[in-house]
Amino acid sequence: MVDNLENEKKETKELLSLAILAGSIMLKNGAETYRVEDTVNRICKSRKKTKYVESFVTPTGIFVSLEYGNEIMTYVQRIKTIKIDLNKIDMINNFSRKFAESDLSIEEGINELKKIDKITGYENTIKILWGSLAAGFFSLLFGANLWDFMASFMVTIFVLIFTTKLCKFNITFFISNFCGAAIASALSILLVKIGLGENVDKIIIGAIMPLVPGVAITNAIRDTMSGDFISGLSRGMEAIVIALSIAFGVGLVLKIYFKGVI
Amino acid sequence: MEIIKQFFFSFICTIGFAIFFSIPKNSILKSGITGAIGWVIYIQITNIFSSTILGIFCGALTVGILGEMLARNSKKPATVFIIPGIVPLVPGSGMYYTMLAITEKRFNDAANIGTETIFIAVAIAMGIIISSSLSKSIKRVKNKS
Repeated sequence: MVDNLENEKKETKELLSLAILAGSIMLKNGAETYRVEDTVNRICKSRKKTKYVESFVTPTGIFVSLEYGNEIMTYVQRIKTIKIDLNKIDMINNFSRKFAESDLSIEEGINELKKIDKITGYENTIKILWGSLAAGFFSLLFGANLWDFMASFMVTIFVLIFTTKLCKFNITFFISNFCGAAIASALSILLVKIGLGENVDKIIIGAIMPLVPGVAITNAIRDTMSGDFISGLSRGMEAIVIALSIAFGVGLVLKIYFKGVI
Repeated sequence: MEIIKQFFFSFICTIGFAIFFSIPKNSILKSGITGAIGWVIYIQITNIFSSTILGIFCGALTVGILGEMLARNSKKPATVFIIPGIVPLVPGSGMYYTMLAITEKRFNDAANIGTETIFIAVAIAMGIIISSSLSKSIKRVKNKS
């Protein structure tokens, strides 16, 4: 009898850690907070033993409380890095549905989650090439000509290679965005001076596009409007800091340029 | 002709960002079409009513509705289609021009462009929120019946 209870307790603990693992992978890859809450709740409620689950998710951490028998368990998980990887969000979403509907064992579930976490998706070179192509076409959308497109494409390749290299050294996002924006504007000015490209502004707009926190701004306002004020504030802060760092980077180089140094 | 050109440019642009955000392989084309339609609608509405913010709102609303429909169709979260789709609408140029105005000490221009940038961001969020809450309520009604 006592053994049985112990086993049950262990299993519930594992269920909770599985739910937290799923939630943290989703949150790390840029999922909305309400989706993470849904996933964690769905996984915890999928086994009959749990009576009551409540989760509270902000972009920087997950808090889950779970009641079973006459005990309450709580798990706090801190999240630090946030990037965007839509493929993983999709996979975890499918996994949580599958897990809730079938009776997959918890150990198998954890193994599957770890496998999903390790998937690398597209290679970095492909990502950089397409990101740069997108930046080039973005400057075309704003009325640049063919030479500007070429310039923007080349500048963005450099910027993205540089920022992905910086990411490996675990430098804060403020510095990497600042350097990225500064390099983007310096290279654009240089290319225009050489004669490749005519409109500096359009080249720079294209080149800083992969850095701009558009998704963060939109998600922040969206979270706030749907009542998740804390996650709205924290995402909004992230967006503002990134926007400031880009603005500092561009502003610094433009200031030097207008003084006539370059 | 102009519309086809804009459609093509924004299509490639959205696909590029979709791959940059590592979207699942079988949704690349769909998200590209979503983003391109949103952009064309933005351009058309802006030309007709000469209001950028209304155009952005309609574009974002289109992207949101298309994203929710595609999400239902292919059983994926709607974010997969919405995040790459709204990227062409995001006010990156507004941010740049605001900063340019500040460095050149044209503070009036900076306030003008900066405010418009913030309103554009709000318009995008409004469009997406309306479409997602619409789809949620439709889901609720369907589940009840």
